Amino acid sequence: MAGIERYEAPDTLERAAEILRAGKVTVLAGGTDLMPQTQDGRVQFQTVLMNVRRVPELQGIAEADGAVRIGALVTITQLLESALVRERLGLLWQACDHFASDQIRNAATVGGNLCNASPAGDTLVPLLALGARVVLSAKPNGSLETRRVPLEAFFVGPGRTSRAPAELLVAVEVPLPPAGFAGEFYKHGTRPGLDISAISIAAGARREGTVLRDVRIALGAVAPTPIRATRTEAVLEGRAPDAARLEAAAQAALEEVRPISDVRASDWYRRELIRNMLKRVLTHVCQL
Amino acid sequence: MSANCDIAFTLNGVKRELTVPVQRSALEMLREQLGLTGTKYGCGEGECGACTIIVDGATVNACLMFAVDCDGRELVTIEGVAVSEAGEHLREAFVANGAVQCGFCTPGLVVQASHLIERHPDADEAVIRRGIEGNLCRCTGYRKIIDAIAAAAQASAQGSEHGRG
Amino acid sequence: MGAGDTPLARESLIGKRIPKMDAPDKASGKTRYIQDLNLPGALHAKILRSTQVHARIVSIDTSAARRLPGVHAVITAKDVPWQRPIGVAKDHLPLKTDRVRSLRDEIAAVAADSEAIAEAALELIRVEYAPLPAVITAEQALAPGAPLIHPEPHGADASPHLKAPGAPVAFAGKPDNVAMTFDYAQGDVAQGEAESDVVIEDVFRLHYVTHCCLGVSGVIAEFDPSGNLLLYSNTQVPFLHKREFAELLGIDPARIRIIQPPIGGGFGSKLDIYPFEPIAIFLAKITRRPVKLVFTREEEFIASPTRQPVLLKLRSGCRKDGTLTFRTVETLHDNGAYTSWGATTPFVMMQTVSSLYRVPHCKYHTRAIYTNNPYAGSFRGYGNLQATFAVEAHMDKLAEALGMDGLAFRLKNAQEPGEITPQGMNFASCGFKDCLKTAAERSDFLRKQAENRARWSDPQPVKRGVGMASMLHVGGGAKIYPSDGCGTILKLDDFAHVTLITGASEIGQGSETVLSQLVCEELGLPLSAVTVVNNDTDITPWDVGVHASRTTFIAGNSAIGAARKAKAKILAAAAARTGLAQEALDLRGACIVRKSDGERLFELGKFLRGLHFSDRAELVMTSFYYEPPSKHQDKQFKGDVSAAYAWATQVCEVEVDTQTGIVRLLKVTGAHDVGRVLNRLGIEGQIEGGIVMGQGYALTENLMVENGVVRNPNFRDYKLVTAPEIPAMDISFIETMDGEGPQGAKGVGEAPAICIAAAVANAIYNATGTRITALPFTPENVYRALHGAATPLKWSVAA
Repeated sequence: MAGIERYEAPDTLERAAEILRAGKVTVLAGGTDLMPQTQDGRVQFQTVLMNVRRVPELQGIAEADGAVRIGALVTITQLLESALVRERLGLLWQACDHFASDQIRNAATVGGNLCNASPAGDTLVPLLALGARVVLSAKPNGSLETRRVPLEAFFVGPGRTSRAPAELLVAVEVPLPPAGFAGEFYKHGTRPGLDISAISIAAGARREGTVLRDVRIALGAVAPTPIRATRTEAVLEGRAPDAARLEAAAQAALEEVRPISDVRASDWYRRELIRNMLKRVLTHVCQL
Repeated sequence: MSANCDIAFTLNGVKRELTVPVQRSALEMLREQLGLTGTKYGCGEGECGACTIIVDGATVNACLMFAVDCDGRELVTIEGVAVSEAGEHLREAFVANGAVQCGFCTPGLVVQASHLIERHPDADEAVIRRGIEGNLCRCTGYRKIIDAIAAAAQASAQGSEHGRG
Repeated sequence: MGAGDTPLARESLIGKRIPKMDAPDKASGKTRYIQDLNLPGALHAKILRSTQVHARIVSIDTSAARRLPGVHAVITAKDVPWQRPIGVAKDHLPLKTDRVRSLRDEIAAVAADSEAIAEAALELIRVEYAPLPAVITAEQALAPGAPLIHPEPHGADASPHLKAPGAPVAFAGKPDNVAMTFDYAQGDVAQGEAESDVVIEDVFRLHYVTHCCLGVSGVIAEFDPSGNLLLYSNTQVPFLHKREFAELLGIDPARIRIIQPPIGGGFGSKLDIYPFEPIAIFLAKITRRPVKLVFTREEEFIASPTRQPVLLKLRSGCRKDGTLTFRTVETLHDNGAYTSWGATTPFVMMQTVSSLYRVPHCKYHTRAIYTNNPYAGSFRGYGNLQATFAVEAHMDKLAEALGMDGLAFRLKNAQEPGEITPQGMNFASCGFKDCLKTAAERSDFLRKQAENRARWSDPQPVKRGVGMASMLHVGGGAKIYPSDGCGTILKLDDFAHVTLITGASEIGQGSETVLSQLVCEELGLPLSAVTVVNNDTDITPWDVGVHASRTTFIAGNSAIGAARKAKAKILAAAAARTGLAQEALDLRGACIVRKSDGERLFELGKFLRGLHFSDRAELVMTSFYYEPPSKHQDKQFKGDVSAAYAWATQVCEVEVDTQTGIVRLLKVTGAHDVGRVLNRLGIEGQIEGGIVMGQGYALTENLMVENGVVRNPNFRDYKLVTAPEIPAMDISFIETMDGEGPQGAKGVGEAPAICIAAAVANAIYNATGTRITALPFTPENVYRALHGAATPLKWSVAA
């Protein structure tokens, strides 16, 4: 059994980046995924366990330049308690309300949820719909370098992201949706929160007269990563959301998804849910 | 076997220093190193809430927390909650309302309820139900637990009114 | 006594809301469960389980594990050649010798200085398997040429001195995968069918669920230097297990002491011996150290018992006037690889088939079939959930075929007080019709049922439904052994403090509180005057164990018997002192009083001290053994097996989302014939907890066993009901004052879980017009059924 040889708890981003550059690091944030995944062997510890909790640059929720910057260490509870998130990023707020349990919301971080990259990750789907990008920092040649990656390019497979091993996810930036934008998050399950989604949907738009504008749709647990349903959005963009249009949108979504069968649902059922619930969610969005 | 690490933290109001294996969970540290067995192992995956403790004022599943992550933080376990005023209100309410059967989930629920009442002193039925969604109970069907938490919230509210008066 | 003392009126504790005596400790985290006990010098044990569903064991190499520092012992079957088969059919060796039959099978075990070292040692054990074809359904197990699970004898090659008389040393094997069969008949079903105007037949499939006690399984075993065994165990049946462990070890049962720490949930799961317990004992014997073995949650899912999965074919008929004519039931129980109590659930199932309603002609046939799946044990309700699911579906279908309402149809066929059924059950007290009427009235059942049905063709996707089901269950013990009794020893000390020593174990259900209440009722003492001792076989008198909803009834009568003897002794002494007749005296408010006006004559403590320190030096200490007036069933399964029977009707209201298949349980209206309410708080807790357990069985819980593998051994995907999901609950108690029951009470522990799935099935039909005969009603299963995408159930079973 490979063990951890060193524990690090850096208190600056610079230091954290240096530790990462040295290699073989497991990053610990809230621990809610890391602990069970390492205990049952799904994830192997690297030789260094780095706890990023004391890195101040990873904290805080703030609005700047038309976007909300959410530090990687912000917990789901902090998102729920943020007036800014509740009022301006309603889709994300709703997903946080459906996130696990109070105990897990108190510990789990948005950065951890993103890096865990579960196809069913609750915050991932609304963040995708809202066009969010992650901020990644590294210190390859003695100075900190930062790049921004749109979420569509960040998720590359179940549990896999385009974050390089030496990079640290510092924050996620969410562009503020246009005025009048309203959305709904749907998570399929028998429980309000403590459920892994069989499917999830984040959909939003703005009404302009009789037509929809700025349509954003993302789907969870129906492909190897959460997906932005751009072709479905196109079917609705600038169109009146009548029954035929919603049906067409649902059909388009079915062509975008690639669900699997697992203990939570069969691929057939996931498709049925996408068809039925996308129409229902879009109907609600049109009424908001 | 993995490395050890020295940590210092506050546990139920008392400063502690300890050496812990880096891979150890806070739950194992509490139960096996410190002998505080009121915090229970129910699943080890954060699904049952039997190991709920308070860290820096918020409840977490001790089984999902690395012991090393306790460094510099303030922990309160059921042993600490039980001797607080809120804990006494909760114990009385759990007993009087029949919220305890086998009792294995009860310490976790009392800790979670103390946090819930602190955050939502006027919690209604829906808020209480959502507040304990991460605590599984196999015996009671939750009804009497919900009633007990509502009663304890009321007792705490009255207590603090008297305190002000 | 001072002249100013007011007379004492008779006060009763019966029916009050009495908090559980152990609750303050539990709510403070002070209660020490088996997981919390650490004996000095104890070793920690772990078990290596099979990675194959069915295979021959070619070789086991433990040499590397034995060399690991901190490892005290590594054992395989070779190290315990004297081990003997365990379980209900004695078909199960704790450590497997040459063959594994399911993924849970125990191959080796380690005792080490810590759990971590024990786990590391397990990883060093190398096992070579030769895979065998697996049998993963009961139907497949019966097909011609199916692989055999127990083809040859296996068991101990015990040396002769270990052979206790009557103890099976080896299991003889089974040539046909049939573990057990049960047949019951009354009347002539062919005649019944000939007399029927309506005949229906359906196949039902009941799934795997498991107990999910919040406290995982565990045991601590320790031998003293003389070879006496001390076992800290979560067993629900300590005295029966004393004997079994003794047989296993080839020692005198008198040399085994079982201490039962408080237990983190039972629900029937601790009714049998499972391999982990003998394994811990073997390790303790070999290492001469205390050995503690505690499961992980994953192990608990994989290696603790399940509820019995059943395939059931039911054929029923009735006359035009609504009289039931016959029932024919055939079931296939998936026994798993070994036989535990689950195989014997037909005892209970056939009672529901034959006697919940009056049916003149019945035929019942069960085969419990060996497969390579997990094996099933006893679980709250004991087969009754499965039987009731089928019977109550047919009550609705028959009523509908006749154009009768379901309530009137049930009332027409419901049992009444005084009925002795063809199976021999004597329903001395029976509030069934009151249960039916009360639940229907309080839920407005008939109006809602009609309204919901009228909305079948409405376009809105979310439908409402209401459904009814009823149940019959033993409520006065169950005489499945020659005795169904319980002993009590009662001692009053010099301060009028009572020590109630009872054979009945507390498993969280509140028995010690109810027993104390019954004693206080007799002795006129407050509850604070009682200490209960109920967890140590060296101290407590015999009891069959906690099962069959028997504790309140049997142990309650036993405690009352001991208390009455104590009371008689005290009052006789007081009569001698006062010159009053014994009948003119009573015990109230911790005093001896004159019965007629309540005047205090003596403070009880003072009087007892007087007795104790007088020339007669008399102690007030009594014992009582209660044996209920029930009968062991005969070979045809006939006989009055319980001293009383409990009844209930539950009405469930659901919301069905036809676009997702999600069924929400909104409200349960229950009416329960409990004889009499003793502790209102306790009985409400039992019923609410049972309803929610039934809700889980119906809607969310599903142990997914595929090809012999449990696919969801965790709470993430094995979904217990959580607080936000519980229904509104309206519970009425029908108090029929059973003549044999303690203060008129009957057992109720299992009853509330039994009807929910059946009532929910009827409610889904009422909401949607779709009848689903396979559990669970998880969203995808319901969605498939509503949209014609479910695989139809067929009875394709070899005779």
